[in-house]
Amino acid sequence: MSTTLTDAPRTERAPGPRLLRGLSWLVARQHRAMLLSLLAVMVLGSIWLVYERGQMKDFLDAAGWPAKELAQPTVESGSVGLVITALGGLPLILAVFVGAPLIAGDQEQGTAQLVTTQSVSRLRWVATKFAWVYATVLVTAVLLSVLFTWWWKPYRSVFPALWSDGSVFDNTGPMLPALCLFMTAAGITIGVLARRVLMSMAITFVFAAAAGVVWDEMIVHLAPTRTITYPLNADMPSHLNESLEVDRWIGSADGHLYGWGLCSKASEKASDACVKEHGIVNNVYEYLGFDQMPAMQWTGAGILLAGTVVLTAFVLWRVSRRPL
Amino acid sequence: MADAFTPDGASGAWALEARGLGKRYRRGPALQDVSFRLPAGRICGLVGPNGAGKSTLLGIATRQVQPTEGDLRVFGVPVDDPEAMPKFAFLGQDKPLFKRFTVAETLRMGAELNPGWDMAAAERIVRSGQVPMSARVGTLSGGQRTRVAFALAFGKRPDLLLLDEPMSDLDPLARHDMSTLLMSEAVERGTTVVMSSHMLSELEDMCDYLLVLAGGRIRMAGDADALVPAHALVTGLAPEGDPVAALAPHTVVECRVQGRQFQALVRKNGPLSPDWVVAEPSLEEVLLAHLRAPDVPPLFTPGARTEAEGSHTS
Repeated sequence: MSTTLTDAPRTERAPGPRLLRGLSWLVARQHRAMLLSLLAVMVLGSIWLVYERGQMKDFLDAAGWPAKELAQPTVESGSVGLVITALGGLPLILAVFVGAPLIAGDQEQGTAQLVTTQSVSRLRWVATKFAWVYATVLVTAVLLSVLFTWWWKPYRSVFPALWSDGSVFDNTGPMLPALCLFMTAAGITIGVLARRVLMSMAITFVFAAAAGVVWDEMIVHLAPTRTITYPLNADMPSHLNESLEVDRWIGSADGHLYGWGLCSKASEKASDACVKEHGIVNNVYEYLGFDQMPAMQWTGAGILLAGTVVLTAFVLWRVSRRPL
Repeated sequence: MADAFTPDGASGAWALEARGLGKRYRRGPALQDVSFRLPAGRICGLVGPNGAGKSTLLGIATRQVQPTEGDLRVFGVPVDDPEAMPKFAFLGQDKPLFKRFTVAETLRMGAELNPGWDMAAAERIVRSGQVPMSARVGTLSGGQRTRVAFALAFGKRPDLLLLDEPMSDLDPLARHDMSTLLMSEAVERGTTVVMSSHMLSELEDMCDYLLVLAGGRIRMAGDADALVPAHALVTGLAPEGDPVAALAPHTVVECRVQGRQFQALVRKNGPLSPDWVVAEPSLEEVLLAHLRAPDVPPLFTPGARTEAEGSHTS
């Protein structure tokens, strides 16, 4: 008898405003831990970047830089390397831990069946998942990229890596968000196809690592190289200090190019003879200028975003056509 | 027999209507040329041995499996039309739920994803089992989890409830509770129920309509009340040890000869010989005989077969 008493008055909804509704509520609730983790990465990462920039600024101010030269040409502190490693690993971590289990987890647990036998279509559900994850990844990556760029740009000459190196190129400007989105999309796609969490995470890891290696080879092809010719005994023009060397030759007056090592002989006499024999008068230098960096980054980001769109469209098309 | 149960005209009166339905997997066909109709408001048992295609048929009806051929309509709506989704609810064999959700959150999911959600009914089902609303689903017992899954299915207020061996992992007490709950909710709302089960006694108690599958094909379909009387269990003397000739006008489902005596389960076609002892078989006997004899032509009670509108061409 006493149990019936409690039944009546408890049917009202738990207090508190309902910020989210429908599928958005479901996706945010299901992936609450993952979304909060990304938020934590964003906040803590931002604090870290601001702190490290301050540290470097203090160190360089104390050393009297840039008026005085540094004892070493670059700041080789461990924390700079750590930041670069962490940012460089972010796309891979997102692919493996956010992308791969996103839908594969539901396929494996059977909750895909649970959700898709309610009154919403598979396509809307998966599209909502995409929207939440992409938005969170994008905000996180943009913020971190902006802060890292803000740190790196004024102090780039003391950074241990050149702008064209993957550790800088991939972590600044539009590249970091584009890489994060692309890798996440790749993880999601692999997950949908593999249908198993652990297997899709393993495949995604291998894919992301391989894609990273391939991408670093791609960087120099993102813009057409320039070539400059200057006299053999002159110094390289100073505006090329920050350029990336692609190739280098020596050339004769009639424009014929020879390999850089052609006349590096054992003795100076032999070298001079060689120069004279071939009529070499010029250095020829093929390079990518620092001013080309934004164009290269946007080109690269465009390629990656196009890849993201293709992968996303493929997953949505597949989900709409056949059951999960 | 049952004109009231075999509505004509408006196809919405059929809860399920299959025409030439087939599903082929890489390892072979799972369903072949399945055509039947299920009138609205019935409790239908889906019977068959393992691998008969029961789960595939339920999978097609719940959009989890895409048929290779033919079509299936839920209350007149093609099942691949999103409009069919609010009409049915599904309770699978392993009743997947989000383990980290609380019971209250699970019901809220039902409310967020279903336009016709009935929170009061869902909460009543959960409360009547003393399942705490704030408990995480992962911490519940099997019976409690099934109850939450039932609440989610009934809260959707479906016209058609599809159950794939819903009671298989429950203890007898929980099974009894769930059957009672299922029957009372279904009767109260007039919900059409299709449930697959291996428990023939369970089906006999609950179901008034039967769909028997074997080897991916329909063996029998129709009213349980009409299917059983269509059969007779006859015992008689076999003239030369071979009763086939004597039984000829009838369809023999199963026949056993012992010495000069035979016992057979037949489908009656006309009057039976007065020399035989005739008994009415139980539902269980009819089902078992059909499951053992896959080559007997299928039996449909009137109305249970879909008209062959060019969809049987395969």
